[in-house]
Amino acid sequence: MVSPDLSVAVGSVRLKNPVMTASGTFGYGLEFLPFLDLSELGGLVTKGLSPKPRRGNPPERIVETPAGMLNAIGLQNVGVDAFIAEKLPRLAPYDTAVVANVFGETEAEYVEVLEKLDAAQGVAAVELNVSCPNVEAGGMIFGNDPKALARVTRACRRATRLPLWVKLSPNVTDIRETARAAEAEGADAISLVNTFVGMAVNVDKKRPVLANGSGGLSGPAIRPLAVWLTWQVRRAVKIPIVGMGGIMTGRDAVEFLLAGASAVQVGTANFVTPRAAIDVIDGLKTWLSERGIPSAAEITGTLRAAEAASVPV
Amino acid sequence: MTHRMPQDVVTPVLRNVDLGHGNWLLEFDARGAATEMRPGQFFMIGVPGSDVLLRRPFSVCGLPGTFDDGAPGAVQVLYRVYGRGTALLASLGGGALLHVLGPLGRGFTPPADRNALPLFVAGGIGSAPFPAFAVELRSAGFAPAMMYGARTVTELPLLDWFETRCATVATATQDGSHGVAGLVTVPLEARLAAKDRDRLHLYACGPTPMLKAVGRLAERAGVVCDLALEAPMACGFGVCLGCVLPTHGETAQEVRYERVCIDGPVMRAERMAW
Repeated sequence: MVSPDLSVAVGSVRLKNPVMTASGTFGYGLEFLPFLDLSELGGLVTKGLSPKPRRGNPPERIVETPAGMLNAIGLQNVGVDAFIAEKLPRLAPYDTAVVANVFGETEAEYVEVLEKLDAAQGVAAVELNVSCPNVEAGGMIFGNDPKALARVTRACRRATRLPLWVKLSPNVTDIRETARAAEAEGADAISLVNTFVGMAVNVDKKRPVLANGSGGLSGPAIRPLAVWLTWQVRRAVKIPIVGMGGIMTGRDAVEFLLAGASAVQVGTANFVTPRAAIDVIDGLKTWLSERGIPSAAEITGTLRAAEAASVPV
Repeated sequence: MTHRMPQDVVTPVLRNVDLGHGNWLLEFDARGAATEMRPGQFFMIGVPGSDVLLRRPFSVCGLPGTFDDGAPGAVQVLYRVYGRGTALLASLGGGALLHVLGPLGRGFTPPADRNALPLFVAGGIGSAPFPAFAVELRSAGFAPAMMYGARTVTELPLLDWFETRCATVATATQDGSHGVAGLVTVPLEARLAAKDRDRLHLYACGPTPMLKAVGRLAERAGVVCDLALEAPMACGFGVCLGCVLPTHGETAQEVRYERVCIDGPVMRAERMAW
C-alpha cells in the first residue's frame, strides 16, 4: 500500500501534515523534546505572547470536568522579547511550522508583538488570540464583537507580512459574523475554536472551583460543538480553517477535516499524553491508508451533509 | 541538578493493597524510572481507556528496597480514595494497565549537615513520600523522626511501618483517637522549643493549611523547612501552568507563580508567598 501524502497547505503555509499543536497546551515546544521529535509535527503554536511577561491568574487554575477541563491560566507567558531571544532560536533545528500565538490588551499591544515577530527569523505564521476567556482586559472583547475584531485584524494586517491567522471565540451568537469580519480585513486563515466559557462550583464551599470564577472548557466535551462551528464557518468564508476542539485521535482529526478544516490542532490531549499529536498523525495516516485515499488534503470539506445546511443555528 | 528524562509507559498493576479506611498502596513496575528516582519525585498515573481524562499526580512512596515485601524493581504509591481518579485506581486489580509518566519534579535533598536531625511532618495521606526518604536517610546515617497528624486514627496509613523505621513517631489526631488531641502543630511547637532545634531539618507534606502553618512555625524558630507541595495538575511536566503557587521573586515584594510540577514539588518554605 502506498503511504498517503499527508502534506497540506493553509493558505501560503505548507505543512508536512495537517496536525499541529494548539496554543497554551504545548508551551514553546521545547518542553516536549523529551517525548517527541518536533520535526514530526505539521506545526506547533506557541503559548500566547504578549508585549511584556505576564504572571497569570492566581490558583486554582484548572479543574477536570466531564470529558474535559476548565482552565483559567490568565495568559502567563515569557513575553515576546524572551520568546524571540531564548525560545525561537532553539526551535530552528526542527523542520516544523512555528506559529506564534499573539495576545494584546489593546490594539497597540497586538501591533507591537506582531512587529517584533515580523522582524524575527523562524516564524511561519501568527495566530491572533482574540478569544481568551480568562483575562478581564482585552482578549475576548475583540473576539465577541465583529466590529472590534475587524479593527484589530486590520491593524494587525498592516503590522506584519507573515500569514495572519485569527483564532475565533466560540462564545458568540453567530460565529460566521466574526469569521467574515476577519476574512474581510485580510486574515489568511481562521483558527477555531478557543475554549468555551464555563464554571465549576465547589458545592461544599459554595464557591467557584477556579479562583478566576469562570474558565475555558476544552477537551472531548467540546468536540461536537467545535466540529459544528467548523462546518458553519466553512460555508461562510473562503479562507482556510484550522480546526480544533477535543481532538484525541486520528479519527477525531478526520471529523474536522471533513467538516472543512485544512489542518487541525491538538490541545488538551497533549496534557494527557505528551505524544498525543504523534498518535493523531499515525491515526490519520491509518484512516487514509485503509480507505485508499491518496492525500489528506483532498478530504477537506467533503462532508456529505446537504441536509445539515438547512439546520438553523 | 540533573534530571532523569521522564518516561511515559503502560505498565500493569502488580499489587493494589487495601490498607483499610480508604487508604491504598499501589505497586507497579516503573521500568527504568525506579533506579534513578528521588524520594519526593512523583508520577502522573492514569488508566488507559477510562473516562477520567487527566492523569493524577502521586508522589513515590516506595522505591526498590523500601518495603520488605515489594516486588523486585517495583515502586509503590500511597493514595487515599478522594475523588473520581483515586476511586478508579482503587477498583483496579493485579494485571490492570496503568498509564504512568515519571519520574517528575524535584525531590527531597538530604540535609547537608551530617549532624542534622531530619524531622518528617506529615498530615494524613501526606505521609506518602516519606517511606522511600526514610530508608535513604537511614542508609546515609541519619535518624529521621516523625510527627504524624490526621483527623482521626484511620487516616494514619503505614503508621506501623514508620514506627519501626523512624527514631520517634509522635502522632496527633483532631478527635484524640491516637496520640495527642489536636493538630500536628501541637507536638511540633513543643519540639521547636527544644534546645537542639537548630539541628532540625523539617520535611513537611500534607494539606496546604498544614504546610502554611508548619512553614510559619519553622521560620519563627529559624529552622530549615522543605515542603512537598500538592496542586491540581493537568500535565505534570511544566506545560499546562495549572499547578502554580505564589512564590517570592527577586525582591520580597515581587510575587511570581512557580509550577509545583517542575519547580517543585519540594520547595523551601521560605520561598512561598502565601
